[in-house]
Amino acid sequence: MSRRKLVESVLINAFLLLFCLIILFPVVYSFLVSFHEPKTAFLSILPQRWTLENYARLFRYGQFPRYILNSIINGVGGAVVTTIAATLTAYALARFDFKGKGAIEAFILGMMMLPGLTNLIPILKIASDLGLLNTYTLMILVFGAYGVPLSIWIMKGFFESIPRVLEEAAAIDGATPVQTFLRVVLPITTPGLIATLLINFVYNWNNFLTPLILINKTSMKMATVGLFDFQHVLEGNQDELLAAACVVIMVPALVLFLRLRDYFLQGMIEGAVKG
Amino acid sequence: MKSRGGIYPYLLTLPSLLLIFAVTLYPSLYSIYMSLTRSKHGVTEFVGLDNFRRILNTTDFYQSLQATLIFTAFYVLFTITIAYAIALMLNRGLRLTGFYMTIIFLPWVLSEITTGVVWRWMFYPKEGIIQNLIAPLINNIALITRPWGAMIIVIAATVWRSISFAMLLLLAGLQTIPTEITEAAQIDGASGFGVFRYITWPLMLPTVVVTAVFILIQGINGVGMILSITEGGPGRATEVLGIMMYRQAVQYYNFGYAAAIAVLLLIINAILAAFYLRALRQESALAA
Repeated sequence: MSRRKLVESVLINAFLLLFCLIILFPVVYSFLVSFHEPKTAFLSILPQRWTLENYARLFRYGQFPRYILNSIINGVGGAVVTTIAATLTAYALARFDFKGKGAIEAFILGMMMLPGLTNLIPILKIASDLGLLNTYTLMILVFGAYGVPLSIWIMKGFFESIPRVLEEAAAIDGATPVQTFLRVVLPITTPGLIATLLINFVYNWNNFLTPLILINKTSMKMATVGLFDFQHVLEGNQDELLAAACVVIMVPALVLFLRLRDYFLQGMIEGAVKG
Repeated sequence: MKSRGGIYPYLLTLPSLLLIFAVTLYPSLYSIYMSLTRSKHGVTEFVGLDNFRRILNTTDFYQSLQATLIFTAFYVLFTITIAYAIALMLNRGLRLTGFYMTIIFLPWVLSEITTGVVWRWMFYPKEGIIQNLIAPLINNIALITRPWGAMIIVIAATVWRSISFAMLLLLAGLQTIPTEITEAAQIDGASGFGVFRYITWPLMLPTVVVTAVFILIQGINGVGMILSITEGGPGRATEVLGIMMYRQAVQYYNFGYAAAIAVLLLIINAILAAFYLRALRQESALAA
């Protein structure tokens, strides 16, 4: 490597490391605040005495444990609905050449471009007319639908990577299409299924605006909305407790992202470029 | 040769289509109907275009439209500029690329509300760590209490969260430029800047346009961070259209009015989406 290239490489890496520090700072900062003793959140960046007390208090504070439970139920429920629906559709699109296939693909792509934001008001009205307000059913259906288009493109990619020979062999052995799908295709795509499930869970878990607008009963709120409420009550006097709530909501998303980074990035590219 | 599959493919696509219809298409159409009605004391009456007339006759709407335009313009500009610079650096195949990518993507995998809470802390008037850092430079003004200051904060926070997405799309675009072209230019004596100006930039322009429109669509519809950092304040300085819609529905129960704002947003989105799909097609046509 020439001297000039070496200098260039050092400079670029130094710049990127600094940039990463800036990006990382707000995340690290919330962790640090959560380890401060009461009333000391902003006296120093590092806690003078490190404590886990805020976490202990958090799980006795208000209905926080209930919010977490609601987030898990809605998040997992939505992810399961999405994954089942999207997997079936992706298989059909990857394996069959049926009439109307192009139209169905175009419809799904077009719907992907409709923003979730503007739909929330009508969904609120429709749900209240149907008596579905403040129910798990509503949130699971809404989350379930949100993830479908993106998950279809992800799963379609998986199915297209499986050699068709396997299914043809099963068919020759007399397996019905349903048996072939369940016993031959699904086992091979298990990693894809799990990734789709977890990515959708993270999206649902993080979702803030949807439950903010669709849920107004305290016991049915999700953790993100609970945090928004806490922000109003705790700000300025119990920021350490607020920080602990932030961290508890961040950690599952962080852990899953670090484990599944490449699936997430793949999904983002698919979502943007297909949409 | 793919089989036609008889009735199977239709059965398999049905659940997805039903879900998308129920949660996306039907509500969109229903919002148009809602925007033409008004509910009072549980009675819904048809009022024609009255909601739109009221919206377009209030200064509130134009304030929000202005806030939305300022917010999205600077947000897109900064996101694309920074993301492009980072993408150019990462495209050199650095050894630590994987590490950098992971860090840069962290803000995006975290909920808007959690990161919004942290950004608000950093700009608390007295204790905010960034506020105190920059206070000497800005006459000790508490940034978040000023209309323009609050706007700067929400733009910075949203840019911080969106750089990764833009960077990923731009990097994917950069990687489709064959290295032979840039290397040949360098052998012919082109400077680093010359290669960028006359080769990379023109080849990348379609990708930049696609990314910018995509980021713009996200910006217009992503209001979670603004809500948690300023709630649209101070006054209505950061109350973009999405937040105005939320307030009308959830705080004032003006559903028809809120639905009318939703329809206006939907129209803006549809125009952007059409533009986006066209840009996307041109981009892939160029790539092929």
